[in-house]
Amino acid sequence: MINWTSWLDYGFMRSALLAILIITPLFGLLGTMIVNKKMAYFSDALGHSALTGIAVGVVCGVADTNLSMVIFAIVFALLLNKIGSKNSSSTDTIISVFSSCSVAVGLAILSKGGNFSKYSSILVGDVLSITNREIVYLLAIFAVTIIFWLVCFNWLNAICIHRALAGSKHIPVHLMDNIFAVLVALIVMLSIKWVGILIINALLILPAASSRNISVNMREYHLFSLIFSVFSGILGLILSFYTNVATGPMIVILASVIYFVTYIFGRKCKE
Amino acid sequence: MKRAMKNKYVFVAVMLCAILFLGMGLTNLYVWEVKEQDEVSDITIVTSFYPMYIATLNVVGDTDHVILKNLSEPQTGCLHDFQLTPKDMKLLSTADVFVINGGGIESFMEEVAAAYPQLTVIEACENTKLLADEGEKNAHAWMSIAAYESQVKTIVEALSEVDPVHKGQYQKNAFNYVKKLDSLKKRQKAIAEAASGQHVILFHEAYDYVADDYGLKVSCVLDLDEERQVSAGEVSDVLAAIERDHVNVIFAEELYGKSIGETVQKEADVQVIYLNPLNRGDYDKDSYIDGMSENLRLLEQCFGVQE
Repeated sequence: MINWTSWLDYGFMRSALLAILIITPLFGLLGTMIVNKKMAYFSDALGHSALTGIAVGVVCGVADTNLSMVIFAIVFALLLNKIGSKNSSSTDTIISVFSSCSVAVGLAILSKGGNFSKYSSILVGDVLSITNREIVYLLAIFAVTIIFWLVCFNWLNAICIHRALAGSKHIPVHLMDNIFAVLVALIVMLSIKWVGILIINALLILPAASSRNISVNMREYHLFSLIFSVFSGILGLILSFYTNVATGPMIVILASVIYFVTYIFGRKCKE
Repeated sequence: MKRAMKNKYVFVAVMLCAILFLGMGLTNLYVWEVKEQDEVSDITIVTSFYPMYIATLNVVGDTDHVILKNLSEPQTGCLHDFQLTPKDMKLLSTADVFVINGGGIESFMEEVAAAYPQLTVIEACENTKLLADEGEKNAHAWMSIAAYESQVKTIVEALSEVDPVHKGQYQKNAFNYVKKLDSLKKRQKAIAEAASGQHVILFHEAYDYVADDYGLKVSCVLDLDEERQVSAGEVSDVLAAIERDHVNVIFAEELYGKSIGETVQKEADVQVIYLNPLNRGDYDKDSYIDGMSENLRLLEQCFGVQE
């Protein structure tokens, strides 16, 4: 038998657990609104922009690439929102254009001199990279997000249901959109180093999507999304430790299993 | 409706429990299969990568109650951009001594030092003069037999200090190993006489040490020690260098240098010889000696030296 508590003996695993306890509820929470607003592709593009953020940091010689990533992602998110709301062509086309453009710039800079392998860890994520400073950042974001949610959730929901109607009720539609996008950008950027660019979007989408399969009202939707997110995060961390697999993919595999089971259950219930 | 609600919560609980137990069960089975036996030991030595493992293996030999383990896989090659995994951290937490090459190859040492400040680290390059390229240290010292010998000596001295109980055995093993290395060094002389002063092109940073051992002049280095794309500009630089310095010989590594080696051979009249960078292989005690003597044979052939 394995000693199922031995993973707690390691400092890096305790930091990872702490980070997961902070970040997975946020993923669950924001995910509900991302799924409702049909922004899955938007958050995916945000994740990819991390590459460019790092590249910008490398070019400018910023020691802490976290900073350049976060700044770039915020600019990127606001720009996407702005152009998306003004332009007549469909949103996914615009996101696609922006996303490929920024990934191309990032890849071009990072692969200069054939050195891309140095950055390949960011594609899959590395759980050992979580530092105390990042945990502090995450805590701050956690607090901001919770407050934002408590204060503005009804507005967000109204915008989600009917934009024009929400506007006529004097709800600041654009402001809400922008704040939401910036929050998603912050959370994605601060967790991308250990989750990995290739799969970070799955963590945002899967718990909420699974929850949507089986819930009938907003309260349930949030509750299940939170439970699924935290559950797959913690179990994924522990299992990845014992099986020597990267943590991000393990969490996503668990979240996917939950999605498929709830999908089948949801279909059955409707019949 | 009420009943459906209740069913749903039961369903979620059952589902999560099932996933939990299934996940833990499968992990248990998996870990059971790969679990290694715990041995009784006085000291556990962990090495960072392949050449260090082979060097330390020859020092430790079959000394009882000494466990020797390698951090990376035998096929990892050089540790450029190596990422420590939780498993590596676990392994290091059991180690008493960590043998590294040094010179910047183990870029993760800061993390290790922060996590395990008590761990004794032996830096094999400590007493070895490293070549430098534009101020950047080239740490592939094991490619020079003399430098490798000094690494072995550094390792044995440091190990004897950390583990005085087995000092006698370490010293004896190292003495025998150095003797074998010395006989390789003798073969180098004839090659150096034939080859000294010639221009060569290297497709691997590590071969700087080979060039240095034989007094060869390096016209151009393409560092191909990992999977990477070579741009057309670099190929044309190589061709220009061949033209300029009348280069006859290119040293390349079979794994990453083959395709570009063949390309260059089509364009210019040069000989490409594929040396073994000795940074991957199996855990055989004599793999360094065997690999190096094969390299010597290739060099002898190339520079027309009779054995």
